[in-house]
Amino acid sequence: MGHERLSRDTDPKARRRPRRRRALWPYLYALPAVSATAFAFGFPLVQVVKDSFYAGNFDAPIWVGLDNYKGVIHDPSFRTSLLNNLKLLGTVPVMIVLGLAIALVLNDRIRGMRQYQAVVFLPYILPATAIGLCFSFLLQENGVLNTALRGAHLNFLAQDWLGNSHLSIGSVGGLVVWQQLGFCVVVFTAALLALPPETSEAARIDGAGWWALQRRILVPQIRPIIELIAVIQVITALSWVFNYVYILTSGGPGYASSVMELYIWRSFSNGANGTAASVAVMLLGMASVLIGLSLWVRKQVERA
Amino acid sequence: MPRRKVVLALGAALAVVAAAFASSAASKPARVTADDPNNANLTYWYWGEDDAPGANGWLKKEVALYEKAHPKVKITVVTQSTDTLTSAFTTAAQTKSGPDIATQWATLPVLTPAWNGSSVPISDYVPAGEIKNWIGTAENMSGGKLWAMPQYLLGIPFLWNKAMFKKAGLNPNKGPRTWPQLLAACAKLKAAGFTPFGMGNKDGYGGAWFFSLIGKQNLNSIDELKDAMIGKANFSDPKFSGFYALLADFKKKGCLNSDVASISFTQGLGLIGQKKVAMSWVTDGFAAGASKALGGTKGMGVGPIPVWGKGKLATSYDTTQSSSAFITKWSKHPRAAAQFLVFLHSQQALRAWYKATGVFPADKRFPASLVTDPIAKQQLALDKSPVSVWPENYVPPQVDGNADLAAGELITSGAGKPADAVSLWERELKKWKSQHPDEFRNYSKWATSG
Repeated sequence: MGHERLSRDTDPKARRRPRRRRALWPYLYALPAVSATAFAFGFPLVQVVKDSFYAGNFDAPIWVGLDNYKGVIHDPSFRTSLLNNLKLLGTVPVMIVLGLAIALVLNDRIRGMRQYQAVVFLPYILPATAIGLCFSFLLQENGVLNTALRGAHLNFLAQDWLGNSHLSIGSVGGLVVWQQLGFCVVVFTAALLALPPETSEAARIDGAGWWALQRRILVPQIRPIIELIAVIQVITALSWVFNYVYILTSGGPGYASSVMELYIWRSFSNGANGTAASVAVMLLGMASVLIGLSLWVRKQVERA
Repeated sequence: MPRRKVVLALGAALAVVAAAFASSAASKPARVTADDPNNANLTYWYWGEDDAPGANGWLKKEVALYEKAHPKVKITVVTQSTDTLTSAFTTAAQTKSGPDIATQWATLPVLTPAWNGSSVPISDYVPAGEIKNWIGTAENMSGGKLWAMPQYLLGIPFLWNKAMFKKAGLNPNKGPRTWPQLLAACAKLKAAGFTPFGMGNKDGYGGAWFFSLIGKQNLNSIDELKDAMIGKANFSDPKFSGFYALLADFKKKGCLNSDVASISFTQGLGLIGQKKVAMSWVTDGFAAGASKALGGTKGMGVGPIPVWGKGKLATSYDTTQSSSAFITKWSKHPRAAAQFLVFLHSQQALRAWYKATGVFPADKRFPASLVTDPIAKQQLALDKSPVSVWPENYVPPQVDGNADLAAGELITSGAGKPADAVSLWERELKKWKSQHPDEFRNYSKWATSG
């Protein structure tokens, strides 16, 4: 046995074989999953990038180089859509701050905590389409909200939430916060409940007050979760708001509340596939940059 | 050795998979592709309810009757929504798959897929003796062929609430015939505490109607609009776009309902029947409903759209077949589809349509004697006006969606001025030409030679 081991160690060929075997097999095991992933994600990605350089329909595409990108950049309705997506990024800190505040309060094991949690989470499980329809009736000029405001003699607050071009994107943002807040609260609450109680106990014994406990002990411990939620909500604000916009305002009045997803949909449904593809590529690029940036910031903070 | 084994195993696996695919393909029974009109599964993408409430129920009954008479024919009806009617079919046409029969609004929305090779001429499958009975076929002609079947005639009458007119000191039996008369009535109604005119434009269709009903009034023929679409004339000429200033003025004077920008077009159509506004323009179908709510001729007046412009089209009426049915290029059963569409023009189907919707069928064989309601008689007389045109049908669908709808929204919401609306049109016309050079070429050819 000892001789065998000795001979294998000294024979270069025998030494290489197991290594090769070890090197090859894991890749083969992963091959089906990698192939499926490549097909499901890689193929459409390559195709959409390719389409962005063509015009016309899929049957007879015409090479136009960067013309689709140039056309889109010079289109004021695209610039409005892009700006609206950036405005919707403003919902992210609102959701994080509100969600964290509610989660911290719920974490104090207040009476009826589970019921409160259910109430806050409820909007998240409702279909966006149904919510959009309900809110489109609620927020009309003579809808439920304004009728209630007028009834309370608060006429100055009753606005045309959907028909006013200055307010429509804000109304969409409000709806996004209303629905997504539940998700933030549930995730933050779960993260807080999973923390070891010893640290908090130790802080209390050392005389930390409620505010100091939250700010210095609990929140820092769930920072990775906060960052994760921030990344998810950034992606939501950039490329997951189509439902809300389409049902609530259809992007109007004019293009006042249009977003990039709606622009893509409009282009594609008009048969302008190349234009739709070029905006999709830009949207993907923007989301990737923002996510990459957030990961980089996180690393810098960790290093510091 | 193990490496070779791995390669062999992979090769064998691939061979097995390939063989499985090949054998499954070979063992599949040959599809029945023969176009037997009495043996087919048809899918019909249908739209009509928003024009003529009751249309969906009517089609369901007609399908049941047809399937009973043709046991080997199965028809699946998929109702379409207004805001995705064009886009859903455009998407289907990209993949050359979808329904056997589709619905689109007349003229450009029908002819654009025809030019793109997504439909077949219905005149190739239906005898000329049948087609000669259909009304409004000129709306869907291109290259000497008819591309879609009309089902109904949709007139847009002007309605007024007689009780509100009386209370405002206006003659309840005489509606406004000119734009100044309309503005005068508006002022009196407003002073009496009524909302003068009702419209919904959250989705842009209210503004698009304003374009079709009022915007055409400075034109002498629809060919002038076609010229503006292909750049032979300039859309910024007030002859084409002057109506936006009129719409802005109409809103500024407080003639429109305050929620015009936040309610949908369909919600707007219902306002007169709900007694929330004193005047409106609606489809024949909605007029029938409003008439019931307001008490027929005693409570509601009907007339043509008030005249504003000075072109020959100013006094034309606004009847269109609105939506049309056509057979798709990829349908394996065009003869079966055509036979079913002809069935929808049978005497039984025409009568059932009118009974269900109160909207007149687009067929000369429909007996006018069935129209007994006084309001409906007035509508039928208007629908038979000698000159009738719906300009929106002549706007390329992309420009209609991106400019016509959005520009009206700019005005009714106060977000833009008439000049902004006009520049939006010009920008979208330019975009259409550059994004769809083939469509532009076809449109230009059609505009000049028909």
